[in-house]
Amino acid sequence: MTDTVLFLLVDGLTSGLVYALLALSLVLVFTVTRVVNIAQGEYVMLGALTLADLLQGRMPGTLYLLIGGLVLCVILDAGRWRRDWRQALLYASGLVIAGVAALALTRGALALHLPVIGMMVVALILVAPLGALIYRFTVHPIPNATTIVFVIISVGVSMSVQGLGLLIWGANPYPVDPIAAGGVMMGPVFIPYQSFAILITALLAMGGLYLFSEFTLVGKALQASAMNRLGAQFCGIPVNAAGALAFLLAAAFSAVSGMLLAPLITANYEMGFMVGLKGFVGGAMGGLIDYPLSLVGVMIVGGLESTSAYVASAYRDVLVFSLLIPILLWRNTRSRVEAR
Amino acid sequence: MRTLSVAAALAALTISVAAHAADKPELRIGSVVAMTGPASALGLPEKNALELLQEQLAKDTSLPFTVKFITYDDGSDPTKAVNNVRKLITEDRAHVVICCTTTPTSMAILETVTQAKVPNISLALGQSVIEPANERHWIFKTPSTDQLQVTGLVDDMVKRGIKKVAFLGLEDSFGEGGWIAMQSVAKAKGVEIVASERFSRTDTNFTPQALKVRQSNPGAVYIHAIPPSSALVHQALKRVGYTGPIYHSGGSANNAFISIGKQDVEGALLGTTPVLVYTDMPDSNPLKPVIAKFAALYEKRFNVPKVDIFPGQSWDAGNITLKAAEEVVKAGIKLDDLDASRAALRDKIEGVKEFVGVGGIFNYSPTDHLGLDHRSTFISVVKNGEFRLYESK
Repeated sequence: MTDTVLFLLVDGLTSGLVYALLALSLVLVFTVTRVVNIAQGEYVMLGALTLADLLQGRMPGTLYLLIGGLVLCVILDAGRWRRDWRQALLYASGLVIAGVAALALTRGALALHLPVIGMMVVALILVAPLGALIYRFTVHPIPNATTIVFVIISVGVSMSVQGLGLLIWGANPYPVDPIAAGGVMMGPVFIPYQSFAILITALLAMGGLYLFSEFTLVGKALQASAMNRLGAQFCGIPVNAAGALAFLLAAAFSAVSGMLLAPLITANYEMGFMVGLKGFVGGAMGGLIDYPLSLVGVMIVGGLESTSAYVASAYRDVLVFSLLIPILLWRNTRSRVEAR
Repeated sequence: MRTLSVAAALAALTISVAAHAADKPELRIGSVVAMTGPASALGLPEKNALELLQEQLAKDTSLPFTVKFITYDDGSDPTKAVNNVRKLITEDRAHVVICCTTTPTSMAILETVTQAKVPNISLALGQSVIEPANERHWIFKTPSTDQLQVTGLVDDMVKRGIKKVAFLGLEDSFGEGGWIAMQSVAKAKGVEIVASERFSRTDTNFTPQALKVRQSNPGAVYIHAIPPSSALVHQALKRVGYTGPIYHSGGSANNAFISIGKQDVEGALLGTTPVLVYTDMPDSNPLKPVIAKFAALYEKRFNVPKVDIFPGQSWDAGNITLKAAEEVVKAGIKLDDLDASRAALRDKIEGVKEFVGVGGIFNYSPTDHLGLDHRSTFISVVKNGEFRLYESK
């Protein structure tokens, strides 16, 4: 019986950490841009499938998305050529160089047969910019839209990206190599090394984000845009660049969580959405603005998921998503107290 | 290269149609399979097999009719399946409809084909597609059923002296089908079901269910799911220290199962159709040469190392249709008379006896629209990363 509890605890913690990276991404995006990003889970899928492609020695399909996105950026920038052709040329050539660099990097990585960690970095470099591109296409053109418009847009983005994923990778699941194969017996419980990798990476990511936002100028600018968008703009902070950066970082965190998760459950085109939603339930605990509370939230989600799957497996998703109701009630009473 | 050969095949087909159009009637076989969507891993091989059959027929002039294949995609979506089947029946004037890949899509089109009085051969696993047979007058199917496969597996458990079984299944209609079959078979064979756990394709962790199963202390575990879930659940059972035999449904009998489960799924027992284990069969088995011929054709044409169970299902559906159509023409019914020939085709399909296909030996009858029996179910075991025929002791 004790080992059952230990198993549930370890697995709940592992899932919780995966969702934590998602919750982190959601909070980051929401605070800086006010977008409740339903599509956040799709970066999980993109990260996992890109890594699967790289590890099996194929050119990752993500490159099509990246290069296509860059081309679209140049097209959207067409109006500037008349007003200021020097700037426009600079911008376009910058994007072309970025595209070529991504291609060269991928080819190099494939030729060198990098180890899993190296491939993860390459996959990260390919997936993270997609976040900024999606910001450019969906949020940048309508900076003053209401939250609900952004929610609807992000649902659309989620569907489109999932569709593109199906188009590029097909419906087959891809097995992905873990960072380190095998695991250890801790007492009666077998823990794969991958779980430790998830723990370490999640802690590094969270610590990195904290250090970045507290101790760098760019990080502080991000914080400023999160606190007050208009005020930040008056202080000379380019809010659009801040928004794009928030999307980029969020995409990176989610992609990392996908790459860590894939060895445990294989990579497939529909893996991201559910993970994204569970990260969202955890993030809701912190009202999508509070990092520590969101972490508490995702740990509760992870724990509840693993115990409910044990106690009543048919109802585990129902129980996890029902958690939203008490969370929202609790937040509601809290904010009323604050308002008083 | 592939485009070229398809083009060549099409050209050959056009020429043969042109040459024989005057004296031979046309048989139109419409099919709707899941080329995209969640079931595309099943639907694409099915489409391939139909394509192969079409190419084979282009070379063959012995049939008393020409054959036209019309294939649509349903995206694994029941609504799209219904729309495409309607299109096949009314616009394309198909004589027979081969549809659909999954049980939900096949269930969705029952009404449409029954009202239009068009014979339908389903490629879905679910028994509910063809039963009760008196209500499913126009519906046949080629894949083996849950019931048949579970019976084979439970028979093996009984032989081993196992009295208690735990059930693990997907929480969709596929898993539900397995659960219903397991309940009725277990009851009939006197085996007790001590646990029933559910999971879904998008779950990230299967250990809690495995723990629950281990706690119920079963003699054997039966997993009714498709990869990746089925392989991941199997791994989870190993992880929590379960050492008894693990049985799987036919849904796991494909290469993805082994490539995901790797050494953890060694020794897994799967209910399967003959095609996966035909090389291990004794030469006396009538299925062996039929499957060997199909496998050689398919593997060469689509450049796959080993054929799996899905292409054989549509291949059989196509061949049963051709056999029935030959009978219809022999009986003097004009294929141009759509209503009469559709009805006659249905009767002739129902009259198919001892037809040796890739999926088994078919004996349709007014009460049995599946047509398969124990001669067509086998148990395979994963041995050194391959599916081998399992000889029950």
